[in-house]
Amino acid sequence: MPGWIHAFGWPDMKNNKALYVGCGLLLIIFCMAIFAPWLSPHDPYFQDLTYRTVPPVWYEQGTWLHPLGTDQLGRDYLSRLFYGARISLLIGASVAVISGLIGCTMGMLAGYFGGRIDMIVSFFVTTRLSMPVILVALATVALVGSSMWVVIMVLGLLKWDRFAVVMRSATQQVRAMEYVAAAQSAGASTLRILLTEVLPNVLPHLIVIATLEAASAILLEAALSFLGLGVQPPLPSWGLMISEAKSYMFFSFWLIAIPGTALAVLIFAINLAGDGLHQWLTPQERG
Amino acid sequence: MTSQLITESLVTQPPASTAMPQNVLDITGLTVDIATPRGTLHVVRDVSLHVKRGETLCIVGESGCGKSMTSLAIMGLLPKAAKRSSTRFEFLGEELSQGSKGHINDLRGNKMAMIFQEPMTALNPAYTIGEQLTEHYRHHLKASEADARARAVSLLEKVGIASAGQRLGQYPHQLSGGLRQRVMIAMSLMCDPELLIADEPSTALDVTIQAQILRLLADLQKELGIAMVLITHDLGVVARIADRVAVMYAGQVVEQGSAAEIFSVPQHPYTRGLISCIPIPGRTIPGGKLGTIPGVVPSLLGDMTGCAFRDRCTSAQASCASSIPVHETPRGHQWRCVLEPTKVIAA
Amino acid sequence: MLAYLVKRLGLAVLVALTVSVIAYMLLYLSGDPALAIAGEGARQADIDLIRKTYGFDRPLIVQYGDWLLKLLRGDLGVSMYFKTDVAPLIFSKLSTTLLLAVYALTVALVISVPLGVLAAIYKNSWIDRLCLAVAVVGQSMPNFFFALILIMLFSISWRLLPVSGSGTWQHFVMPAITLGYYAAPAFMRLIRAGMIEVLSADYIRTARAKGLPTHTVIFKHALRNAIVPVVALAAVQLGFLLGGSIVIETIFALDGLGYLAYQSITFKDYPVTQIIVLLLSVIYILLTLASDVANAWLDPRIRVA
Repeated sequence: MPGWIHAFGWPDMKNNKALYVGCGLLLIIFCMAIFAPWLSPHDPYFQDLTYRTVPPVWYEQGTWLHPLGTDQLGRDYLSRLFYGARISLLIGASVAVISGLIGCTMGMLAGYFGGRIDMIVSFFVTTRLSMPVILVALATVALVGSSMWVVIMVLGLLKWDRFAVVMRSATQQVRAMEYVAAAQSAGASTLRILLTEVLPNVLPHLIVIATLEAASAILLEAALSFLGLGVQPPLPSWGLMISEAKSYMFFSFWLIAIPGTALAVLIFAINLAGDGLHQWLTPQERG
Repeated sequence: MTSQLITESLVTQPPASTAMPQNVLDITGLTVDIATPRGTLHVVRDVSLHVKRGETLCIVGESGCGKSMTSLAIMGLLPKAAKRSSTRFEFLGEELSQGSKGHINDLRGNKMAMIFQEPMTALNPAYTIGEQLTEHYRHHLKASEADARARAVSLLEKVGIASAGQRLGQYPHQLSGGLRQRVMIAMSLMCDPELLIADEPSTALDVTIQAQILRLLADLQKELGIAMVLITHDLGVVARIADRVAVMYAGQVVEQGSAAEIFSVPQHPYTRGLISCIPIPGRTIPGGKLGTIPGVVPSLLGDMTGCAFRDRCTSAQASCASSIPVHETPRGHQWRCVLEPTKVIAA
Repeated sequence: MLAYLVKRLGLAVLVALTVSVIAYMLLYLSGDPALAIAGEGARQADIDLIRKTYGFDRPLIVQYGDWLLKLLRGDLGVSMYFKTDVAPLIFSKLSTTLLLAVYALTVALVISVPLGVLAAIYKNSWIDRLCLAVAVVGQSMPNFFFALILIMLFSISWRLLPVSGSGTWQHFVMPAITLGYYAAPAFMRLIRAGMIEVLSADYIRTARAKGLPTHTVIFKHALRNAIVPVVALAAVQLGFLLGGSIVIETIFALDGLGYLAYQSITFKDYPVTQIIVLLLSVIYILLTLASDVANAWLDPRIRVA
């Protein structure tokens, strides 16, 4: 990492507000998730039936006991918000790692070796792109059984395509560089070259794609949970919270507004950070 | 042969006292500044030019001297960041410096036309030659499609393109560079302009095609009587085609006059240096050395007082750092220099 | 151009076949397809009946081959839940989904083209940043959340549009806006990038030198060249819209293929799910093929080679 800062310089504060704002927001949400047990006023699973659908504190009937109100089963919304952040972040990170590993390997192999391997990988990518992801994910979760880990595995095994495509072209570019030829003529093994020469140089692209795929995974999980085929109750997945509150939405709009806004802010922060990273790490591609 | 050219020009040039045909273009004090993060770039500084009907004015100078910017300023095609101002900007007798944008749009492509250096990229690859030839004709003159196409065909023939009717349906990628430049010339003539500005029209073409294009321009001008401003860095081109010459350096016109005078009695040291750099048949001694002008063009950034050429001038003096006087002969030969005029022909 | 077409077509067929294998194998994700269809707690007799009816006791290759051959003959099987032939069921819903996708694409283009052109013309100004901000917000909001908000506004508060169903064109408005808004940012970035590149081209300078009005220069000359990659993306996005409509259709109870897919999963009518997966994939493959062809056609340098 420190080598990078040398290579790219500290990100420009004035022109790259996106990076700082995005990372700042992410840091806040991250802290919310990590410190959830200490920040939450109540147990997110505890159903207090005497305090059902209490509105947030800025409404007339609101109370500071439940600053963001409660849901239809009397569970404190603020606590569920904090714990829900854990789920979203965990899913985003896990899916990014799994799909990243798969996609990078495929992309780097295709870009480095070209020829047959490239053809095969491109064929896989084209095939994967033809499939309706959310439908296949839904069907798979329904057949295998829905739980958070099934969702993570399914999404991880489906969402590697962009990694593969970008890593492939990045690897092709790096491969044409002289230091790769030098390593080859020095007799280094392919694996060694890939890990020590190619990987560090395609890492910037990898990180940018990872952030975008994490955001996409979070949205997908929210959609799956919303349809009832993702994370199962009583887990406080934000998508699931919106789904559970659907029928109460007309009188208690905050029940869907709060988790919905939380999702939007999280995705916005990730996209912003991704844009900022892209700007910082690939200066030659600036508009 | 050159001395013959010069004598002819001296004879045909009318004396200054008789009434002269009106100027198509008459600009005084044209200035273009571009704001950049590092300061203001003075790309065009106090340039004054005029061209008459049937006359060819060649603006000559090295890269970066501001000749292209001058032409863009005349056409109103400067980039957004550039600021243009002029004391006087008369076109066809009409003062344009306060003119509305809409009025200038009406004139552009219509009464004043321009062709550029690179014909390979000057045409839109998505539309046919015919469409690109006729669209501005239909826009400016509100003509019908049929009329426009007929005129396009006649102009294509005039610029020497065979099977003109077929060409209308072709796409730019189907034509060679020389042909595309001819199409550009035809395109510029569609609305019968009074002024044609050509920015290095032959530079990007093969040597053999260069001569053809220049001759074509000269013939067209003679036939149609348009005023032409030709921008070039090549003195050979100037010798061949110019009636009058304006020599530009670092954003200024350092010398201006008839071609005969510029070549026979150049007054500005830069002009003399330029002429000594090229071989002139009949004057340059075979086997002798060609001249060079040592040094580089100064930066156009920030304040510029005095003569911009003084760092490279062999006759530079202390007074060159302050205000430079402008000399003018009755015949219209102008130049900026502190030195006294001389009738010595540049060696 | 013919050789190119043939090659592309061959690839398309190969991909379609591979997807069909995957679609068929979906059933085996749970281990025992008969059990999956019968559901938990079903009697052994029912499970065996299902196994017999669908032929799950045969070798895998035979099962797949039989299924594929029937498909190619037009026999799409019978829906267990709806108790009707699958083919007419699917094709009656297909038109609704296709209509929704086209509307959504229109919404996306209506939003993205003006914003993209504006952002390119006023590059790096506040207008540019505003357009990009609109784009980023569009991609950040979960589409089902956006749909619910629209319902609150247009159906409940203002009573302008119906909440659910699919009878009239009004039923398509909110679903189309929701889907389109999510697709718009990708187009907007593409148009902006394309326009920025095109606007600095020499032929734009020529068009301006001819004195053509600004709107002619921008739309006739610049956009025409910048739009080529957008057409390719449009076909691809249409495919995504078809697949992504499942959530939106379910929220709005819009009677299309996506809603049918959701129902088939919920009611364990998995044979129907398989067909829908395959169908959507084939449509996507055809769309990308069409976009490649359109791309080649739009560039006169390829078309009139």
